Amino acid sequence: MNATAKTAQNVLPYLWAAIFIVVVWQLVVTFTKAHVALLPPPLLAAETFLNLVISGKLFIHAGASLGRVVAAWLIAAVIAIPLGLAMGRSRRFESLVDPVIELFRPISPLAWIPLAILWFGIGETGKIFIIFIATFFPILLNTVSGVKGVDPVLIRAGQVLGCDTDQALFRKVILPAAMPTIVVGLRISFGTGWAAIIAAELVAAQVGLGYLIADGMEILRSDLVLVGMAAIGILGVLIDAIFRAINRHFAWNA
Amino acid sequence: MTAPEAKPVNSKGISIQRLGVTFPGSGSEPVEALRPVDLEIAPGEFIALVGPSGCGKSTLLNVLAGFIQPSVGKALVGGEPVTRPDIDHGMVFQDYALFPWLNVVDNVAFGLERQGMARDERHARAREFLDMVGLRDFVLKRPRELSGGMKQRVALARAFATDPSIILMDEPFGALDALTRRFLQHQLLDIWQRNRKTVVFVTHSVQEAVYLSTRVVVMTARPGRIKLDQRIEMEHPRDFSSAAFRDYEKLIYEQLDEELAKTFNLEGGGGVFHD
Repeated sequence: MNATAKTAQNVLPYLWAAIFIVVVWQLVVTFTKAHVALLPPPLLAAETFLNLVISGKLFIHAGASLGRVVAAWLIAAVIAIPLGLAMGRSRRFESLVDPVIELFRPISPLAWIPLAILWFGIGETGKIFIIFIATFFPILLNTVSGVKGVDPVLIRAGQVLGCDTDQALFRKVILPAAMPTIVVGLRISFGTGWAAIIAAELVAAQVGLGYLIADGMEILRSDLVLVGMAAIGILGVLIDAIFRAINRHFAWNA
Repeated sequence: MTAPEAKPVNSKGISIQRLGVTFPGSGSEPVEALRPVDLEIAPGEFIALVGPSGCGKSTLLNVLAGFIQPSVGKALVGGEPVTRPDIDHGMVFQDYALFPWLNVVDNVAFGLERQGMARDERHARAREFLDMVGLRDFVLKRPRELSGGMKQRVALARAFATDPSIILMDEPFGALDALTRRFLQHQLLDIWQRNRKTVVFVTHSVQEAVYLSTRVVVMTARPGRIKLDQRIEMEHPRDFSSAAFRDYEKLIYEQLDEELAKTFNLEGGGGVFHD
């Protein structure tokens, strides 16, 4: 199969899904005669979408949200990957840290909003903190399981091939062996972080897709709400596709 | 035996002295895997270890590799006690143990890099050893693109490339089909005849043991002891169908059958063998 056909095959299901959603949406509007402030017809939403694209505002909002997610995700990765590597390597350390992790993990990023405001105010830091909470755990858990899942025979092979220190063994065998699982954690966490932007931007944001949605609700512009939602969905799919492409490049098990 | 090659080869003798291994076991009862054994192996010998499942032959190999510590006695390689895994003690594993994130040539060059060899030099040496196992055209493939037999040939090249003084092989051809197995036996003999390392080769196959080794050591059922230590006085390449070959096989089978019967009884008569 050539590349174009393959791309078409990947994109086609999303196109069908979009058409299906628009048709159902139009039918709902037609039959319920919903007020335009509650559910605008697809055409009006499309017009709003287009206007926001042409004015460049949509890109500003999306860019702001993306920037926050990337920042939070990078910070989470910098903390969670070393922590996960240490937990995966040392059973003692894991048994010490794991209960703490398990207690915090079920707490939704939403629950952190009040504290985020109290601690960091209404600036960028609080928003990044909330997304950080959302991205931290998937990276950590995947890193731990990646390290634990390394085939013991590979460790033995490394040892008889001259990895005579823990550090050498770690760098030459354990880390590369665990890498595909770690990359999956990074991909999943970017998704959970992206989904958390609404929560993060509910807090006194001036810009961002979450802001666009919150603002649309306040001024009774459900078309803005829908555009914000659509942008989140489309960008989410695109980012995931980019990650999968990167993953295919890096992962020896793909 | 064939005359050794002229070029000097790093090859050391192994001395196993009253070496025993007892595992803590799952219950309160400790499990004696290896009853103290003595074995002297000269540099350049090819020893085949055969015995029933659970006879401790893999345990012995793991002690020589430095993966487990003996409970009593000691294992010396070149007069030095084995305390930990060492690049001078090469190993070939049954399930290949290739690094899946590295291509074939980098797998073979892995140990050379650890020895501090420069990139060009180690790639040249890795290719030289891949040539010996007939994998010249596969240097850039990933392990997952190779068949089981090819993977094990890479592992053979990898084990010999670092020039260890001994090479331990834990049923290296056990997972391969009969034809591939024969082919790899040829290749192993070929590479060993060029690099006369001391080899300790664990196998379930008597035929393989007689075909490859200079000495066959038969071990008893658990706890493992040495039951027979038989020198194989035949030139390579050996003929499976020759009378001498068959006599050796018969001799070893006789010793082995007694042990198999014991294993069978231990497992309650009606039981089946592990393998």
